[in-house]
This record gives sequence, C-alpha cells and structure tokens, in this order.
Amino acid sequence: MSTTQAAPAAVKILIAGGFGVGKTTLVGSVSEVAPLRTEEYLTRASVGIDDLDGVDEKDTTTVALDFGRITIGTELVVYLFGTPGQERFWFMWNDLVNGALGGIVIADTRRLDSSFASIDFFESRAIPFVVAINCFHGRNTRSPQEIRAALDLDPQVPMLLGDVREREFGRDLLLALVDHLMNLPAPQPVLA
Amino acid sequence: MTTPHWSEEQAADDGSDSMVRPYTITRGRTAPERDDLTLITVLTTVQDPADPGGRQSARLQPEHRVILDRCRHPAAVAEVAADLDLPVSVTKILLGDLIAQGLLLARAPLSVARASGGMDIGLLTAVRDGLRRL
Repeated sequence: MSTTQAAPAAVKILIAGGFGVGKTTLVGSVSEVAPLRTEEYLTRASVGIDDLDGVDEKDTTTVALDFGRITIGTELVVYLFGTPGQERFWFMWNDLVNGALGGIVIADTRRLDSSFASIDFFESRAIPFVVAINCFHGRNTRSPQEIRAALDLDPQVPMLLGDVREREFGRDLLLALVDHLMNLPAPQPVLA
Repeated sequence: MTTPHWSEEQAADDGSDSMVRPYTITRGRTAPERDDLTLITVLTTVQDPADPGGRQSARLQPEHRVILDRCRHPAAVAEVAADLDLPVSVTKILLGDLIAQGLLLARAPLSVARASGGMDIGLLTAVRDGLRRL
C-alpha cells in the first residue's frame, strides 16, 4: 500500500507593479507563510547586452523572485508570485505567465507611470488583471476616475483602493480578480 | 555577484552564499533533461519506491537527499529551490534526477484556460470559496 502523500494541484497569480510599490508586502499580507525568495540566473543571451557590459564572465548575475502560498484545501494551492515591472525582465515573465490565472497590478498614485509597463504586459498577452491603488501613505488626492484615466484602463478592469499591508485588502483584491475571471467572455484566440 | 532583486521591499540577506559552485552539485550539467518542470510543478517524495535501494544510491548528492526529505510534504519547484537556496535552474536538474529514478513524483500545474468558453468555473469557484476563508 502506498503511503505517498497526494500532491495538491497548483495555480498561480502574479503580483506586478513598479519598483518598491508593495509587491512583496501584498504577497506577505495574504500568504500563509512569510514570503519566500528564490533566484534564477540571468544569462548573457537573456538580457540586453548593455546590461552586462563590463561584467566579468566568471561573475554570476541573478534575479530574485519573491512568492507566497495560500492553501485552498488538500487538493488546491494558490501561489502568488511578485514579478518585476521592468521590461528587461520580461523574458522571465514568459515563464511566469504560463499557467497563471491572472494578475494584480499595484500602482502608487504618486508615480502611476511606474505601473504602465506591467499593465502593458498583461494587456498585450491578454492576461486578465485587476488594479490595486496602494494608499498606505494616506495622501491619495486623486479620484478613482482620474486614476483610471491616467492609467488608461479599460472600463471593465476592476480597480480597488486600499492598503496592501492589510490582509483584508489583499483578500478583496484576489476575490475581485476571481470574480473578474468568472465574468469574462470566452477568450479570443491569442497568438502564442 | 550582483543581485538585482525583482522585489525590492526586502533587503538582500546575502552572506549565506555557498562556497560550492552550483553547477558542481549537478556534476557540470547546466540544463535539465526535462523541460516540463515549472515554478509551480508540485513534487512529492515516493514513500515506497519500487527500488528502495535507489535512495541509498551513491549517485545521490546530499542535495538530492534534502529534496527527498523536503518533499515528504508536497512542495512546488519554487519552494524547493528557496529551501535549498539554489537557483531554480540548478534545482530543476536535481529534481529531474530524482524523478528519473522514480523517487519523486511531479504534478503539472492545472491548466487554467479551456479550449473554448472561458476559464474552468469549477476551479474558479473553489479558489473563490477558499479565499473567502482568509
């Protein structure tokens, strides 16, 4: 008789946004474990040549990736991966988006432009996403309508305002994404 | 060693770098023999392998044994890599060795998109119900 423990099925949700906008904070607020970190090598072929100019070939360049998990039950686990907004990491996104349910883009009203790249990426790959306006600094003076216009969001993309340090907000964001996914029309064929 | 972190909120906790070059652990191999392992492929140690002697095989590195211990409770590739403090690509090579020897089972991620008609509503409902308990 086998005693091997049955493996749960896994799905993935991506947490994207600009530098320092709160991606790991959001992962940590809803994850059942403290955010874990793993690393992957950057190879010369993987990035623009100028990124590694002057780097000795013996040197190793890595990118770090923070992630967390939510166990839904014995049969299902949701993994949350913080993903970099910078375009030069997009080669890794191709692996990250493979099998992802969808994404959450975090934006900071003081520098909305830092989230443009993440929104562009999800839109260009037809990956459903919701937008989180992180208001932890408590100085949001722009209306939701103004923010939507500044981000050039499609009307059907959900946008929530809150504090990514709070578990309730993180949960609401994830639920908004799942509701959004359930309401989507049948997908159009997308070129691979 | 430069480490531009993807997620910047946490300070890098360097200083724990192994003195062993990672590809020494893989006996010089730099690419996994299988390309179907993703970050969230879930791994489980086989508790009663067909060849119990395999686990004592001299070909197993200490890292292999750590993986077998870790995956007694199912864990994703990314979790194993984080626990071993090894890059994902190196970890995948080691995992491939164990899968090939029948000591480890791999479960691919759920396919989230249906050929037609949107995503799997049953899956989404299960996720939603679970999130509501958070």
